[in-house]
Amino acid sequence: MVARRRKREAKEAEERLPSPPGYSAIPIKFSEKQQASHYLYVREHRVREGTKSPWPHKRTLFVLNVPPYCTEECLSRLFSPCGSVQSVELQERPDLTESPKEPTSKFFHPKPVPGFQVAYVVFRKPSGVSAALALKDPLLVSTESHPVKTGVHKWISEYADSVLDPEALRAEVDTFMEAYDKKTAEEEAKAKEEEGVPDEEGWVKVTRRGRRSALPWTEAASLRVLEREKQKRARKELLNFYAWQHRETKMEHLAQLRKKFEEDKQRIELMRAQRKFRPY
Amino acid sequence: MVSDYSGTSPMVLELGGVLRSCPLIDLSPGAFHFRPREKLRLVMETILEGTGQEGKKVSSKKCVLEGLLQPVKLSPAELYKEPTNEELNRLRETESLFHSSLLRLQVEELLKEVRLSEKKKERIDTFLQEVNKRILRVPSTPETELTDQAWLPAGVRVPLHQVPFTVKGCFHFLPPVRVTIVGSYLLDTCIRPDINVDMALIMPREILQDKDALNHRYFRKRALFLAHLAHHLAQDPLFGSVRFSYNNGCHLKPSLLLRPHGKDERLVTVRLHPCPPPDFFRPCRLLPTKNNVRSAWYRGQNPPGDGSPEPPTPHYNTWILQDMALESHVQLLSAMLGSASGLKDGVALLKVWLRQRELDKGLGGFSGFLVSMLVTFLVSTRKIHTTMSGYQVLRSVLQFLATTDLTVNGISLCLSSDPSLPALADFHQAFSVVFLDSSGRLNLCADVTASTYHQVQHEARLSMVLLDSKADDGFQLLLMTPKPMIRAFDHILHLRPLSCLQAACHRLKLWPELQDHGGDYVSAALGPLTTLLEQGLESRVHLLAHSRPSVPEWEISQDPPKHRHSRAVTLGLLLRPEGLTSVLEMGPEADQPKAADFRQFWGYRSELRRFQDGAIREAVVWEAGSMAQKRLIPQQVVTHLLALHADIPDTCIHYVGGFLDALIQGLKETSSTGEEALAAAVRCYDDLSHLLWGLEGLPLTVSAVQGVHPVLRYTEVFPPTPIWPAYSSYERLREQASLVPRPNKPCPAYVEPMTVVCHLEGSGQWPQDAEAVQRVRAAFQLRLAEILTQQHGLQCRATATHTDVLKDGFVFRVRVAYQREPQILREMWTPEGMISLRDTTASLRLERDTKQLPLLTSALHGLQKQHPAFSGVARLAKRWVRAQLLGEGFSDESLDLVAAALFLHPEPFSPPSSPQVGFLRFLYLVSTFDWKNNPLVVNLNDDLTAEEQVEIRSGFLAARAQLPVMVIITPQDRKSSVWTQDGPTAQILQQLVVLAAEALPILEKQLMDPWGPGDIRTVFRPPLDMYDVLIRLCPRHIPRHRQAVDSPAASFCRGLFSEPRPSPLMPVLGYDPPQLYLAQLREAFGDLALFFYDQHGGEVIGVLWKPTSFQPQPFKASNTKGRMVVAQGGELVMVPNVEAILEDFAVLGKGLVQSVEARSERWTV
Repeated sequence: MVARRRKREAKEAEERLPSPPGYSAIPIKFSEKQQASHYLYVREHRVREGTKSPWPHKRTLFVLNVPPYCTEECLSRLFSPCGSVQSVELQERPDLTESPKEPTSKFFHPKPVPGFQVAYVVFRKPSGVSAALALKDPLLVSTESHPVKTGVHKWISEYADSVLDPEALRAEVDTFMEAYDKKTAEEEAKAKEEEGVPDEEGWVKVTRRGRRSALPWTEAASLRVLEREKQKRARKELLNFYAWQHRETKMEHLAQLRKKFEEDKQRIELMRAQRKFRPY
Repeated sequence: MVSDYSGTSPMVLELGGVLRSCPLIDLSPGAFHFRPREKLRLVMETILEGTGQEGKKVSSKKCVLEGLLQPVKLSPAELYKEPTNEELNRLRETESLFHSSLLRLQVEELLKEVRLSEKKKERIDTFLQEVNKRILRVPSTPETELTDQAWLPAGVRVPLHQVPFTVKGCFHFLPPVRVTIVGSYLLDTCIRPDINVDMALIMPREILQDKDALNHRYFRKRALFLAHLAHHLAQDPLFGSVRFSYNNGCHLKPSLLLRPHGKDERLVTVRLHPCPPPDFFRPCRLLPTKNNVRSAWYRGQNPPGDGSPEPPTPHYNTWILQDMALESHVQLLSAMLGSASGLKDGVALLKVWLRQRELDKGLGGFSGFLVSMLVTFLVSTRKIHTTMSGYQVLRSVLQFLATTDLTVNGISLCLSSDPSLPALADFHQAFSVVFLDSSGRLNLCADVTASTYHQVQHEARLSMVLLDSKADDGFQLLLMTPKPMIRAFDHILHLRPLSCLQAACHRLKLWPELQDHGGDYVSAALGPLTTLLEQGLESRVHLLAHSRPSVPEWEISQDPPKHRHSRAVTLGLLLRPEGLTSVLEMGPEADQPKAADFRQFWGYRSELRRFQDGAIREAVVWEAGSMAQKRLIPQQVVTHLLALHADIPDTCIHYVGGFLDALIQGLKETSSTGEEALAAAVRCYDDLSHLLWGLEGLPLTVSAVQGVHPVLRYTEVFPPTPIWPAYSSYERLREQASLVPRPNKPCPAYVEPMTVVCHLEGSGQWPQDAEAVQRVRAAFQLRLAEILTQQHGLQCRATATHTDVLKDGFVFRVRVAYQREPQILREMWTPEGMISLRDTTASLRLERDTKQLPLLTSALHGLQKQHPAFSGVARLAKRWVRAQLLGEGFSDESLDLVAAALFLHPEPFSPPSSPQVGFLRFLYLVSTFDWKNNPLVVNLNDDLTAEEQVEIRSGFLAARAQLPVMVIITPQDRKSSVWTQDGPTAQILQQLVVLAAEALPILEKQLMDPWGPGDIRTVFRPPLDMYDVLIRLCPRHIPRHRQAVDSPAASFCRGLFSEPRPSPLMPVLGYDPPQLYLAQLREAFGDLALFFYDQHGGEVIGVLWKPTSFQPQPFKASNTKGRMVVAQGGELVMVPNVEAILEDFAVLGKGLVQSVEARSERWTV
């Protein structure tokens, strides 16, 4: 049955690969040896009018369903026949935000394990995109001239990479901390400058400086104060002082018992349904 | 229908459109014909349904269907309406007579379940009348000699061993004078499912002769009477089966069992007991001091000439007295219990209680009749009042049993002070347990051995503790939890074949006892043997109990079964952990007279030893090096004592205590179960923490060092061993002084660094920004590595988050923690400029790793010190879960906590003292716990009070929908169940429950088999036929290959030296290709499939497709992973690209994967 399906698929592939509207499908395989292939779904990268995108207009190819063994260099190599590639970026999911990415540190943000990803391939010329959309032949990720490491070899090289140079780490930490110290110093200087200067409405901000700054205004602290107030009030109240209070307490007790009884009945019914009363 | 279960990934496998309410826990045996795969797919969609329906009133009927408790909502009108008189009465009654209203309801339900219905009673009554008629119609026979049995028809054999055969006397059959119903049926205290009706047939005086009490004559006549009766009744079509059995296991007294024909066959068993007319034998001749079996007749030799008196035959006398008193006992009972329903309820509850503990069956069991008499006794001494409820009766009887030792102070129902009656002391001399009936001559507990009574006492004590503890599910634990021997005792041993006991009787010179028991060497030897063993095991054992020989049934055409044909005798040992640590049996000083006794008792094992205080004493020393061997010292004791004193060779003793040890033994360990290796690792950790505390040159000093790794709480399945890498198998990174695996060599040994959290003293200098804190911490890690290398010469390697330290062959991963960091991660600025604290994933994880995990680790470390068996139990449990390929669904900590619960909440058992029993209870707990409606409360250090627990439970019900599927509460974590947040999912838990429920009976049967457990690893092998794809791995790249359940005889060289040699290079850490492979698979195909693997040397990865993701779906840009677009019915839909994925499995795991086995017949796309 599998064979028949494969044949059918092969025939279909010859005619035209089914692809969702707006996309075109490009088969991709790991190497010659594999028989079945995954499909990249590609289209020109477009965004709604008015929204900004980090990717250049017209020249960017948006690629879906990039297999996990496919790296950025790979994609760049695979699409270079269509036109020279300027950059390739792989992401876990389509990028909708506009904010530019912060450069990440390899020490503090190790690369996650890749799954199926999406890619943004930026060509130097718009013609590259249209050429890519017309691709039909299966792409090969790993070839003899450009082998791609997977499995044991990949894990070993990753392990070797994970053994880091402490000196580089130290240097990175030092530069970061220097920048951080500078930033805080600047902020402090700014705050000092503003001290005693009224803002546009005439308010003057007064702060207590020093090692122990004033208690920060936190939610937890304000809740604590409220709680304390409540306790104070409760302590002043008299319990069971009036006859009606007494009556109500009794009624409340009865209501509690009733509620408990209802709960117990439900429990029993459940246990009965589960035959929990068959002792053996 | 399917709603998300918040907090866990919404992954629901559906079984077509079939909606089955599959209760999570109630796994009745009938449910097991599903194949495991289907079981996995029978998902409890219902458990999750509650979320979508909040606010709606859910009828209780629906709750029952869903098997999920809902918080009760009553309208104010219902809550505050005026109470009726009836309601107030009921509430008051509940308060005064029962513990709580829940208990009352439960007791009522239980009684309803075990009581006979009126309809059945009617059917039984008509059957009894028929039986009565037919018995009276049996024809009489002519008189013959007792030894002449030719008149008996061919199809029936005498149900008695007639040894010696010759006996004086004549017999002829006459129909009974009277047929009366005796026993529980009449009193309405009989309990289902085995309804027995006892009928006493009063034999006519003409059959019996004056001296029939002598030399078994009465019993011979009784047997012949039954045989003739059986022959005639067997021909009657009314009866479905007519068989013989022993009355209470006493082999001199057979009884005839009648069962109705047809569909009523299981309804009732009528037992016929022939008995003499009440005043036929003179009671004074049947006192415990009298002899009624003459040695001359029994042993076939002349009485010894020295004129020594005949030995008394107390048991033999009692059996005759019992027959005579049948009717008077039932009269007494019906007078006492007849009108009081509470007492009857109490007796029924007590019977259930006894039966759950397997105490009521067999010769010398604590039967329902004994309990009824005990209740009568307590009524007569005003300890129980007739208006008491069943629960109170149960409580009073248990209280009485727990506090009264009938082996020392017997009790009597006899009120008269007749001087002719024998004294209690006479009875104490003849019997081990004394409880006299109202005549003052019959000991009701004659057959009960001292150890059986002690077992009853022990159980009563445990139950009283449970009742006093106000536990929520006391009822369940007290009356509903079975306590089979294998699960109740730490170790058990079987004596088989039973013929070895015959030799033991001769060796122990038990001839008078044999004469008394009519040749029953099993019951004659049991008492002395248990006493012997109790004496030998005194310091190591809390309780020694024995199984009671079972009561066989046989066809009337067969000879009665011989003693040696009954199953083995099983002894159970409840170990005393504090006594187990000693290998020494200290005796008296050599010159004291007691020394001779000691030498005599221990035989050649006793030797003179000089102790450190200068004393020279007799002592016995057992060979045991490791904890595992010390646990098995009782085996040495038992084997030695039985061989020495009872001539029972060790081939006849099958000791079941350490069979499961093999599964947690490391590679090179043969005699230890890893406790020593763990202790060595912990010692090394202690050294390291001292070094860390004393470090000089860190900007902040170290304030605390806390271990968080499983090794440091003794629960790592395979403890780490010191490693000494052989450099030739590795690449070397010279700059970083580290080793790296080589692709052309087999995967190096797996070394998991043990994580240690290191807290620094407080300081105001820390930055208040999360990113900056990370950098400062990294600087600390670097500095730590530097200083440790400088000051102590340790090989270290620092990264941004941790520092790896190599010390004495162990690798530790030291993480510096800053106390306020979770707080910083939690801070958020509200628009008003107020700082509010919100939990984020990062803050929760950090808090878990640096705060809760150290607390848990130290608490469990303490538990191990308290209960030395904890390590073994936790490791066996984890081993089993992982061997079933489910290990990755459960966090390490959650399984440790389940194991800890077995020790902290052992009710109704006592805390386990051996890994074997602990593991069995783990399986039982997992398979029966109602995870849906209950949190598992693990009260570490006893920090939760009873009130707090009640509060937790009610809070649990209200928040059920937001909580994980499996909820484990500890004092440090009262609400959120942190250790089960990330799993298991409902399906995985359900699968575990099913597997545990199947494994438990198999394993118990293996262990209870007196001829050996067979292959003990059976239950550890996972079922593989349920998986859709099997990925077979190449052992060359499985570093832990030798840890597999079926450990391969040889594996690959993992680049290690066996003897210590100092290494300046850091070994390869945490490099486990199967794990790396799985991480890739899960990342790439996690949406489409589940992956199952045993991290301890598994050679296969099981893959299960998720049916929901196999449904064709419309195209979505965010959901194309591994799918392809196909045209289906004119529409373009996405389906998983299965063939490419199968090839990806091989591509991603190149080198590791041997083959990908697709069982394509199991799925369709």
